[in-house]
Amino acid sequence: MFNIGSDGGISRSFSKNLEDFDSIRSVLLYSDLEPEWLDDVQKNGELFYLELSEGEEEAVLAQVTASHSAATNHVRFSEKEVEIITDDARKRADSGAKGIPKLKRLAKILRRKRRPSQRRGADGKEGVSSSHPASILKNQAGQRAGVVVQQQQLKEVCVYLNPKRLGSSSPSHTERGGLLEALLGVVHRSGNCTGQRGERLVVHGLVPHSPASKCAQILIGDVLVAVDDVDVTSENIERVLSCIPGPTQVRLTLETACPGGCVETAVPRQRASPPVSQLVRLLWREDTAELQMSIGHIPHIVMYLSLKLDSESPHEEQEILYQYPMSEAAVPLKGVRGIFLTLCDLLENVTGGQIISSSLLLKKQLVHVGYWKEGNNLLVIGLPADRVPLLYLQTVIEGVVRTLKVMYGSLDSAFCEVENGPQLDHFFCLFFQQLIQPSRLFDGSGPSSLDVSGTLFLDGLPAVRWLTLPPDIKVEIDTVLSDFESSDFGDMSEDFYGMRRLYVILGSCLFYKGYLIANHLPKEDLLDVCLYCQHYCLLPLASEQRVGQLVVWREVFPQRRSQPSPLVTRLGYSEPQGRYFLLIVGLRHFMQCVLLEAGGCASPAQGSPGPDCVYVDQVKATLLQLEGLDAGIEERLAAPPTPCLSCADWFLPAAAGRDRLDAIGSSPVLSRLAGAIKPSSASPGGRGGGRSLFGEAASALRGRRPSPQRSLSDSGSEGQGEGPGPSPHSTPDSARRLPGARRDSLGSGGSDGSAGSGGLFKIPRLKHPNPFYLGSLRKSLTERETDDMQSALKLTAGVENTLFHYVLMETVQGIFIAPTHREVAQLSGSIHPQLIRNFHHCCLSIRAAFQQSLPPRDRRGADRPQRAGGLGPVKEHGILFQCKPENWTDQKKPAPTMTYWVIGRMLLEPVPQEFYVCFHDSVAEVPVEMAFRLSFGLAL
Amino acid sequence: MLQAETIQILCLTATSGVPLFSRGSSKQLPFSVIGSLNGVHMFGAGQNTTLSSCETDRGGRVMWRVFQESLMLIAVSGNSATSELQLRRLLENTWNCMVLVLGLEELGNLRNVERLKRELRACFRLIDRLLGQDDHEGMMGELTQCADCLLTPQPTLLQEALDAFTQAASSEFGCLLVRGRVAAATEKWWRLAPQEVVLLSALVRSLSGMSSCDYPIYLPHGSPTVAHRLLRFQLLPGVDVCVLCGPSPSLHQVESELVGCFWSPLTETLRRCLEQGERCLPPTVNLHRSTLALLLINRETRRSVSVCAPPRASPSPPDTAVPLLSASKCWELLRLFYVFAVTRYFSMEESSSTPALVDPPLQEDFSQGFSHSPVHCYLVTDECKCYGLQTPQHQLYLLMDLTVPTFALRSIATQTLSTVTMAMGF
Repeated sequence: MFNIGSDGGISRSFSKNLEDFDSIRSVLLYSDLEPEWLDDVQKNGELFYLELSEGEEEAVLAQVTASHSAATNHVRFSEKEVEIITDDARKRADSGAKGIPKLKRLAKILRRKRRPSQRRGADGKEGVSSSHPASILKNQAGQRAGVVVQQQQLKEVCVYLNPKRLGSSSPSHTERGGLLEALLGVVHRSGNCTGQRGERLVVHGLVPHSPASKCAQILIGDVLVAVDDVDVTSENIERVLSCIPGPTQVRLTLETACPGGCVETAVPRQRASPPVSQLVRLLWREDTAELQMSIGHIPHIVMYLSLKLDSESPHEEQEILYQYPMSEAAVPLKGVRGIFLTLCDLLENVTGGQIISSSLLLKKQLVHVGYWKEGNNLLVIGLPADRVPLLYLQTVIEGVVRTLKVMYGSLDSAFCEVENGPQLDHFFCLFFQQLIQPSRLFDGSGPSSLDVSGTLFLDGLPAVRWLTLPPDIKVEIDTVLSDFESSDFGDMSEDFYGMRRLYVILGSCLFYKGYLIANHLPKEDLLDVCLYCQHYCLLPLASEQRVGQLVVWREVFPQRRSQPSPLVTRLGYSEPQGRYFLLIVGLRHFMQCVLLEAGGCASPAQGSPGPDCVYVDQVKATLLQLEGLDAGIEERLAAPPTPCLSCADWFLPAAAGRDRLDAIGSSPVLSRLAGAIKPSSASPGGRGGGRSLFGEAASALRGRRPSPQRSLSDSGSEGQGEGPGPSPHSTPDSARRLPGARRDSLGSGGSDGSAGSGGLFKIPRLKHPNPFYLGSLRKSLTERETDDMQSALKLTAGVENTLFHYVLMETVQGIFIAPTHREVAQLSGSIHPQLIRNFHHCCLSIRAAFQQSLPPRDRRGADRPQRAGGLGPVKEHGILFQCKPENWTDQKKPAPTMTYWVIGRMLLEPVPQEFYVCFHDSVAEVPVEMAFRLSFGLAL
Repeated sequence: MLQAETIQILCLTATSGVPLFSRGSSKQLPFSVIGSLNGVHMFGAGQNTTLSSCETDRGGRVMWRVFQESLMLIAVSGNSATSELQLRRLLENTWNCMVLVLGLEELGNLRNVERLKRELRACFRLIDRLLGQDDHEGMMGELTQCADCLLTPQPTLLQEALDAFTQAASSEFGCLLVRGRVAAATEKWWRLAPQEVVLLSALVRSLSGMSSCDYPIYLPHGSPTVAHRLLRFQLLPGVDVCVLCGPSPSLHQVESELVGCFWSPLTETLRRCLEQGERCLPPTVNLHRSTLALLLINRETRRSVSVCAPPRASPSPPDTAVPLLSASKCWELLRLFYVFAVTRYFSMEESSSTPALVDPPLQEDFSQGFSHSPVHCYLVTDECKCYGLQTPQHQLYLLMDLTVPTFALRSIATQTLSTVTMAMGF
């Protein structure tokens, strides 16, 4: 069977016919090391292995060092073991022949040491807190803090080493400096003959950018005495270093020439490197207690309660099947669980409906409680009202329930199995942290991170964020993914050995920096996978340069497959009853999620299989293969936003009393627009775009009559004396409903020829099938087809581009597009982030209005009658906002104002879509119509 | 089980949970259910938790409120169209109406529960009126907490007559109501709390039938413990004048000496007011012809005007696929749109006169989450288009039919606002 591949036996046999493989795959096989994550596979086969890339991990270690040296009481280490090693090592120095088995032991210890920092044990059965020895830190514990001056002139330096970095690249390190130089970066030139026994390892030089030089404590002239308390000489150093299995921190003991100098460095140094987000540590299951404590004053709880009360049972809290957190925050809510149980029962009798929410006041704090009844049990989640509006509580609960169902099959199997406890604790810890203090989780990871409404809204959409890519890249990615999905692994596939396959690859999807760039999964499966990723924050994680390696493996229960489809009976075909496994592999910015099926065509799964090395390696190979496309995708991300966006600050006049002519002559909008485009002119297309846009705008400016709308809405900014234009007020909409003809005039209205916008929609259909492809826009950009481009770049008509933000969701595909984080970040400004926060908050309301008018979803199992008597199905909803600059001090003049629309629209034809757009008030109806029509341009 | 589409109000003593009355649905909830509903809240109170409301997937709601730490009111709705705001207003109005009729002292005194039960029967008529949503069509006051007004073509004529009449009745509080809407009121009357003005209008409507009456009332905010006399005289069927006064003068005295001499010269004017019907605007004010309904609130004076102009079955477009909306449906939609806009975007008209109710925020205010202030909003649904706008002084809610292009809504709304406010000085 194939899982024996992990012991390396099979890999070795592969290396014989190396030439059959392309380079990447061969590299993976050539490396004889067993995979780093192997030790982390849990008994039930699950795996959550996260390893940061080098720079990040060093920063984590530095931070851990700093934080733990202050409070050392919970750092435990096994002094004994270390002692033994040093003894062993000394003995070995005497008898070199016996050294090898001991070295193996060292390797094992090193590996074990790595664990605390990369603690990912998915089920934590061994007890997370108890097995928290953090032995990397033992040198930091109390008396040995930082760099300790031992006996005479010894100093200890911790460096972070990653042998994988050597990887395939150069086998040449065996030649001269060996691992000492290649891995550590210490140059040592042995005196006469290399074979001399026990030559002291004097540092003759440092390799630039190596770990040794980066730590800045290893000086030329120092002597390397020991590595992790193993005495080293020129004879055994190579073997010792080669025993380091994976990226880890090692402690070097050096004899230094200047004993005085190192006393100063005894203070734990604070790295200047950026702080590593709490998220990563949370994913490693560190600091959960501390994070939990920091929100202890905010009431929140999740409980799984049994509705069947057994009055005979002597236990006090027997109805609580599960509860989190156990901390103080949950005590008052736990105390009133009787209310939840009674209400659930009562309301069903009184009103005939299932309770979905209730509000209560706890210590002057309003708390919303959401309910989900399943069978005889009730899931209750309490959240503070200021974090989750009641309008959206329902969506949040549905998300949690679906995620749990995907992970465990049903709520009962999730909560009623005792061994799931620690994993659920972790799950809900992440859940509450994301909702209650997201800022802490994602510190310094972009401007939008503090936007709770944004997170709520975007995560609540039944869709995944999509990144449009140029066609060539897209084709390549799809090809690579398809290659992988064909399971044609050459002689690594089971077919080669005439065996039945272990798994059938049902499909996979690929993320880059948290954006979905390719999806070969059915929509519902994609949503399931994405929910998992969202709850474990894997998408934001990958958006930063963080992930060295991520391997996740677990059995999942895709919702589409667990629910009997109505089609089954009609088609006379049912999908095979199999078991499904989710494999997520992340490398740097890429992350691929693969859904595997066991049973059916493949051999049925026995017990709880762990991740199979071959499949993991194949995904890894796919990712490495894709790495070449990195540049192309980056270029897309760096490209000026299509459609073009404006920053809200440009529309707010800085000074109210400005002469109007001046204001037009040096319109802040235009100059800033030009400025915004120029910096991103790395690609010639971008620069061309900027110039011509500016040119067009400027030329049009000469003949420009200030729009009356602007002067009306931007009070005080421009002159008020304009005569009324053809339409005295700007009008916000798209849908013009003609009497008689009952069509919604979505893009088909009478405004086709106006504003020169025809070009955008006359772009020929692309060969590529992907519906969200913006390629024609990009193409026109790069080919400088300026005519097309001007209309394409700018969605809005008129001189100025007035589009601030947009979100378009395509329900059939389960994807949405929105301006990328970078595009938003480029539009810096003080008001713009506010505006986006506002936009998202508003979208919560708009979407709630759409939701309530949708046909009843039977996600709760019960048939919900159409809500009669409501406002009826809402198709479009818009809100006009007015914003004033904060701290307006000028008493004489009224503060200038800027007004903008946030409009949402739900379309059921031709494809169900939801579209949310935010733009400045001055747009006339035609460009807004264009904005809506863009959605068709995108989706065609 | 509670019947769908009904609301039931339960009143219990807060401490002991003795049921005092239950109004609303024809079929009363069983006693055990009432006990449980009360028990849940009491259990929470014992744990320092105040249960506020809950909702079911079919739109049923339950809301709890304790007033003066003595009485508990519970509203149960089985109707999905009843919003949280409507229930809240209903409970507040019910409480105010109990104070209006019985006075605060009586309600605070729970020693003789049986007597209180008997006395509370006097409020039933008014409470039933608050609950019965069909017979006060077009009255938005209970919901908006702003007095429904009628704008007449000659406001000064009526105003002068009213002022003189009130003065002659040695009172400062006088009000002329046409079909339950305030056509004119003295300055002092407007200084009453908006909830009181609304409740008094409702009370007068509930008393219609008799030609005149003398009714003792407590003002829930102005004088909850000292009773006043409300004298009401029917001038024409549907037209009432009332004054609020102390021990004198007597009803008979005012009726025989003052009513005739002050109001008989104005009979024609009053008749014309009646003919205005539910259109609270004088015929001189022209609304856009696609307007289905309109609600205009003056946020400073806390008055509102509401108009319902359902499309007349005009012969011109006979083949419109859109079914014409009935007047009651229009009112319903207007009410829903008001609730929608006010709970999400616009500032709720929580007056400062009810700080006790505002103090613990038992509801979340969604609009608090906005970093910029919403000024307009619109909705396009299958049945109509709605447009709402808010200025520092006014709020306008407009219901248009589907033939109006959406982009024209804004200009129509702003024009409507300026037309009504300019023409009427509202």
